[in-house]
Amino acid sequence: MLEEGTLRVLLVDHDEDRAAAVRSGLEAGGCAVVAVVPEARDLVALVRESAAEVIVCDLDDPSRDALESMRALYRDEPRPVVVFAARGEPGQIEAAIEAGVAAYVVEGLAPERVRPVLEVAIRRFRAHQALRAELDGMRATMAERSLIERAKGVLMQRRRMSEAEAHHWLRRRAMDRGQRMVQVARELLSNCKAE
Amino acid sequence: MPRNPALLRIGYVPLTDAAPLVAAEALGLFARHGVRVRLSREQAWAALRDKLAFGALEGAQMLGPLVLALAAGASGPRRRLTVSAGLARNGNTVILSPALAGQIGPFVPPLRASAFAEALRRRAESGLPPPTFAVVFPHSSHNLLLRHWLAASGLDPDHDLRLVVVPPPRMTEALAQGAIEGFCAGEPWGSHAVAQGVGRFALATGDIWPDHPEKVLAWAEGLAETREEEVLRATAAVIEAAQWLEVPANRSAAARLLQERAFPELPLSTIAAALAGRVAGCAAPLATPLRFAAASRPVAGEASAWLAAMRRWKHLPAGAPEPAAGWRADLWDRAAARLSAPPAPGRATPSPLLAIPQETDA
Repeated sequence: MLEEGTLRVLLVDHDEDRAAAVRSGLEAGGCAVVAVVPEARDLVALVRESAAEVIVCDLDDPSRDALESMRALYRDEPRPVVVFAARGEPGQIEAAIEAGVAAYVVEGLAPERVRPVLEVAIRRFRAHQALRAELDGMRATMAERSLIERAKGVLMQRRRMSEAEAHHWLRRRAMDRGQRMVQVARELLSNCKAE
Repeated sequence: MPRNPALLRIGYVPLTDAAPLVAAEALGLFARHGVRVRLSREQAWAALRDKLAFGALEGAQMLGPLVLALAAGASGPRRRLTVSAGLARNGNTVILSPALAGQIGPFVPPLRASAFAEALRRRAESGLPPPTFAVVFPHSSHNLLLRHWLAASGLDPDHDLRLVVVPPPRMTEALAQGAIEGFCAGEPWGSHAVAQGVGRFALATGDIWPDHPEKVLAWAEGLAETREEEVLRATAAVIEAAQWLEVPANRSAAARLLQERAFPELPLSTIAAALAGRVAGCAAPLATPLRFAAASRPVAGEASAWLAAMRRWKHLPAGAPEPAAGWRADLWDRAAARLSAPPAPGRATPSPLLAIPQETDA
């Protein structure tokens, strides 16, 4: 049974002995290691099944590049990837944490450092995701608004409507069809192009 | 020359185009140019990137697009690396599983994108899922050139295929197990799959963009300023190694060096193929073989082609300013001037990546 507030960790490590050591380090630090895999194959399904909140991987593991691609190549099930380095150099931890986003380097696996580092990693990752979603949303809204404006322009020019009338026309048509205004606008514009 | 010069740690991954670094060390060229270098064999591009960013390495063999992604803050911590030399042109192959090659029907490399697209459409019509293809890293020439080739035939690389990342030494196994149906990777890994009988050679990335720039020699942010003299010396050694590699009589020695230091598990014939301008198991020479000396002088303009492709596929954050690319031909020129016979600078053909159809916003 997992305790309340236990961090669910998926560990990727091709080195069996190191995986065992990292696992005990993570567990001593209050984490639940829900899966240990030697490579990043089928990771998306594995993350879903194990409900892992964070993926932990050694800095030098051959799976590093595949883990990167989870974010860049396909965007499903993103999770923060926390990277551990067995031999950290002074200043690296601070530099890495300051840099945010993906890589967090920790000297060894001192149990008292594990959990705080994972928590910071997850917080930063979520903040970054939220910011990105907000930006994507803003971009989408702006693109939609510009489509609606263009559709209104067409109505004003071709049907001699006022701007308010064009807006009203688009909105009524959208309500009649159970569509969004931007869909009506897009359809109208593509019909114009076809003419 | 300082009496006890500090060490430059340079990372590389086991690929044929690491040859200028491996040869510079093995031939004693770093020492002859008065710089202490320790090469460090690494397992992943992400590891090289992080070690450069956090000071665990001074220099590294790098993917050109990854240098740009780092400068844009699109991959790991934002860092402005300095590129003082190119390591190779061409040198990657696209390999298909025999089953997928069979679905296309008979072809002679280079495979035409339209023939590939037709096979994929027939597959989709018969209800088969899109094939999974592997590249070596999201920010790589492999990913960008493969995407360009696919898109040129009307395929959508994000829907008509599933693109994943597999480390090059694992490609052959992944293909044999059916985890992937094709891949694009640097040699000797394509030759290895062909020699093992689990892959068919389809085309080289040089068939997509002839003489495209491949890996570069990159230095940690600020290092070219703080340790300029050592960077120049190391660069001179790498330029000299590239010249040495270009001499046909040195090819078998080069193959042995690479076997010893990068691919102890591979037969010599597989490693030697790329150096001889071929793919192992294929008789025909490549139209665009791996080249070293012609790659050596870094061409900033060639990096713009990667940037254009990265924008096209939205691999850079929207609205991100032009990343300040650190392609420094001036450093190369100063390093090359120290050699008795500097190599003639090479060039890519004009990049097809710069002639991208503009997408409409609707």
